[in-house]
Amino acid sequence: MKRQSLFLLCAGIGAGAVTLALSRRQPAPPANRIPARRDLSNTPQHSSGTVRAARRLNRAAGLLATSVLADSGVEHYRGSFKNRAMFTPLIVSGATLAISAHGTADMRPAAHRVRDVTYALAAVTGLVGTGFHFYNVGRKLGGFSWQNLFYGAPLGAPMAILLSGLIGFSSERLRESQPDEQQGPEIFDLPAGRMLAAVISVGLLGTTAEAALLHFRGAYHNPAMYLPVTLPPIGALLMAQVCVGTRTRHVAARNWMWLLVAMGFAGSGFHAYGISRNMGGFANWSQNILAGPPLPAPPSFSGLALAGLACIDLVREHPDA
Amino acid sequence: MRDPTRHKPADRYPGYDVLSKRNGPSWNDKTRRVVDQRLSIDDEPRFFAADEFALVQAVAALIAPQPAHRPMIPVAGLVDAKLHRGESDGFRAPNMPRERDAWTRGLAAIEAEARRAHGRGFCELTKSEQIDLLEKMQNGELHDAAWGEMPPQAFWKHRLSHDIVMAYYAHPTAWSEIGWGGPASPRGYVRLDFNDRDSWEAAEAGSSDGDNVRRINRGIR
Amino acid sequence: MAFDDPLDRPRAAGGRAPDVFRRGGWVPMREYRDSEPVDFVIVGTGAGAGTLACRLAEQGFSVVALDAGAYFRPLEDFASDESEQTKLYWTDDRIVDGDNPLQMGSNNSGKAVGGSTVHFAMVSLRFRPEWFKSRTLLGYGADWPIDWREMWHYYAEVEDALKISGPVTYPWGTKRPRYPYRAHPLNAAARVLAKGCEAMGISWTETPLATLSAPRGLAHPCVYRGFCVTGCSTNAKQSVLVTWLPRALASGAEVRDLAMVGRIDTGSDGLATGVHYHRAGQWRFQRARNVVVAGYAIETPRLLLNSANDQFPDGIANSSGLVGKNLMVQSNQAVWGTMEDEVRSYKGPPSLAITEHWNYDDDKDFFGGYAYMSQGPLPQLWANTQLGAHGLWGEQLMTAMKDYNHVAGLKIVGETMPQERNCVTLADEVDQYGLRIPRITFSLCDNDKKLIDHSLSFMGQALSAAGARNIWAQEDDTCHLNGTARMGDDPRRSVVDADCRSWDIPNLWICDGSVFPTVGGVNPSLTIQAIACRTADRIHQMARRGELERLPAARPRRVLTPSA
Repeated sequence: MKRQSLFLLCAGIGAGAVTLALSRRQPAPPANRIPARRDLSNTPQHSSGTVRAARRLNRAAGLLATSVLADSGVEHYRGSFKNRAMFTPLIVSGATLAISAHGTADMRPAAHRVRDVTYALAAVTGLVGTGFHFYNVGRKLGGFSWQNLFYGAPLGAPMAILLSGLIGFSSERLRESQPDEQQGPEIFDLPAGRMLAAVISVGLLGTTAEAALLHFRGAYHNPAMYLPVTLPPIGALLMAQVCVGTRTRHVAARNWMWLLVAMGFAGSGFHAYGISRNMGGFANWSQNILAGPPLPAPPSFSGLALAGLACIDLVREHPDA
Repeated sequence: MRDPTRHKPADRYPGYDVLSKRNGPSWNDKTRRVVDQRLSIDDEPRFFAADEFALVQAVAALIAPQPAHRPMIPVAGLVDAKLHRGESDGFRAPNMPRERDAWTRGLAAIEAEARRAHGRGFCELTKSEQIDLLEKMQNGELHDAAWGEMPPQAFWKHRLSHDIVMAYYAHPTAWSEIGWGGPASPRGYVRLDFNDRDSWEAAEAGSSDGDNVRRINRGIR
Repeated sequence: MAFDDPLDRPRAAGGRAPDVFRRGGWVPMREYRDSEPVDFVIVGTGAGAGTLACRLAEQGFSVVALDAGAYFRPLEDFASDESEQTKLYWTDDRIVDGDNPLQMGSNNSGKAVGGSTVHFAMVSLRFRPEWFKSRTLLGYGADWPIDWREMWHYYAEVEDALKISGPVTYPWGTKRPRYPYRAHPLNAAARVLAKGCEAMGISWTETPLATLSAPRGLAHPCVYRGFCVTGCSTNAKQSVLVTWLPRALASGAEVRDLAMVGRIDTGSDGLATGVHYHRAGQWRFQRARNVVVAGYAIETPRLLLNSANDQFPDGIANSSGLVGKNLMVQSNQAVWGTMEDEVRSYKGPPSLAITEHWNYDDDKDFFGGYAYMSQGPLPQLWANTQLGAHGLWGEQLMTAMKDYNHVAGLKIVGETMPQERNCVTLADEVDQYGLRIPRITFSLCDNDKKLIDHSLSFMGQALSAAGARNIWAQEDDTCHLNGTARMGDDPRRSVVDADCRSWDIPNLWICDGSVFPTVGGVNPSLTIQAIACRTADRIHQMARRGELERLPAARPRRVLTPSA
């Protein structure tokens, strides 16, 4: 059957990508646990700051994963789990959430193999999921029409688990990097803070695009619906500045990230209000949780903004990072 | 060309009872009140005379035949109740009497036609004789003076068959039979696409998964 | 507390009217004495009347609108039940004849505050611009005395007032502004239409509908419960009841429910003086400086004819002899078939997808055009269709009904030609008020039949291409009522002018579907409301210039002073 072969294909891509991600780690022996402990004793000052940033990134990745877990749970239930692949984001984001919690609690300056694999898997799931959603919309009658963009599989949604994976994966790279006086922490030989800033900036823009599409579907009937399409792009600009700028103190960016954290959580409040305005309100939850504005979606902004804050700290502590 | 319904079992929605949703979010107070009232109607005449009522029951059994394995829908009682309330469609041909008069005259004419053709009342005829008489009415082949100005076809089309079928499909048992979702407010539907069933809608039996379908349908609230 | 039955006694009284957005709620309502001449007394509260009442009240005129129907609060009064909701239909006695006698009642006639819009299918389409000059440009029917560009302006106003949900871009005709709300998701029935259109190589789109795809104030968005044509219990449907009338009340208009108008009086000067109406068991007379008749294309001519007096023996506003003439319905034929897939067309508004291809393509062997839409009949309506149109009864009917969840259908809204022989006259029988009942005569002409044949043949191919089997045609249905008091440029050949003002009685206005010179191939409600908005603006302009009898120029803006 077409569906099953597609599922196998995706699984294959996923497995391949994970292998690829892991194989890239092979030339980096310091990532192993024992040398890492040694690093901890050798460079305690740098590492503690880096580990703190890494843990905050774990936390951000966890929040994003939570959002994905709940959102894909609701949306795929609405889709009656017609394709077994629709369980994938639930399993992966659940696992990502768990290992992010683990990472948030983990003070050690070393990458963790299970976390690494899971984050990589999350990122790959995001990519494959995006492919899936594009395929699904494209094959519907009318193709990429407004109708299908509004009501078909949301094209941008799987990107949230990709971002969670990327941020988490970066966090692991951060833990295992060995910053010294000349050079800040690095991810794939790039300055960690700046690279993350770029990821977050792009992530904010992508998430904005998703909100813009769905709020357009809602005809921006409430002026508050303009907030998630105006505030995050400014945040994206500020993070871009963090990425390429020369200053180390990013007061505006920091404040703006806090604003976006608040906006994300407030968004869920607004969405709850939206659900209450549907016929029957929460008493009619079996319909309205599915039909109303998605409760778990807005905190993805908060997750990204938390990652942004970690990233800004990193840049402050390691101007070269 | 393949007939899409060729392989469907007779009981298409086994175990489904639209009334199981009565206390759930799909029904509001007003709907409960209205349907409760309808369900309280039994096969006892208030408008028709007893012999008229028996005739309506006999005709209803032909126009909307019911399976024996479930409680009967009191079709004649529902028709009677509507006439008792004096409800009208709001239009009629110039030679058609108003609803109540049309029914009274039409039933008398059917009885007269039966006696004229067979020497027995309609209820005493065999099923094929009864059907034959109804078909003649449909085709305008009846001419007894009892019809008066009212054309037999018009009585068949606008009163007899129409009122009986409308009464039958006003009943929740008929709704369950065809797998309709039934009353839906405040809760409506979420899944709208092909083969997209909300968990509070009837599952349709295929050729083999009858037990599973029955289990799903019994769980609907 | 005993259940408050809106059909039993008037609700809009004592300085308050029902709040349609709250169970058991009330809003303040200004009231006028019968003896106090109001600026406008309006007969009806539907698409024409309710819209006009709102716009006139907002301009500061004193307005009383009378409706024979009940004042419902949809949230608490509407059951999810076809039989119960027949209370929304005009089921008073009417005689139908002609070659193709019309089905009235549930099919096309509303009796409720809010008029037929309380049970309409919410399809909100604009006329094709050329139709306003169909005689000149397309060679049939009669020209409208209104320019389409002006109508485009008013269409936009109504679309915004009703927050029409429609496609982002409309595939046919002149550019139109974006619909205020986005289109609804398509149900499977709509996807069948889309599949058919794609296979036939013609365009289709989501139907612009007067039902909310997002919240609006206290009105809930659509929950896709599918009971639209039996009354919307969520207020998602943007009927006159929940849009124009709340605005009208807030601006000082009075609405009187369960008030049947039986007669318009005229004075020795030939001007209208007010209306006799029956309410709460007695006949009353409301004095007015202007009378607006907006009872839709049957009750409007009936009232004008029933108001005949010594001065106007053939009925008032009838010097042209055209009151009641040129009744136009729309053909409403369908093709039905069975799909292998489950369709469950009862979910969602019945007509979520549409093609107007044959309204805009002139390569046809007949005049006029048609749109066709997807369908979602509820069980009683569907059983009645299988019985009446398909001729099934007995075991055949029972078996066919079991395929209910697999049925898909395509149904036209087709233009019929204006013919003087299609008319509303008075029968000798009287109704419960002692008023002569209408006799409605209708016959299709050859052009109408050609249009129907074309549509059935085309839709049959489309439905087959979409994968349906056991396809059959429903050949005898109609919908909508228009054209029994047509507007025009010539007093000898029309009843009212472009401003909906009677040529004969300058303080008498007709503002509903009756004024349509032609009916087009789209549902009329949006056009009726657009005309009402235009009429309100024209009245405003004329009043300011002192061109209206009995209305002093430049009236001050009135302030709402509720008496409750």
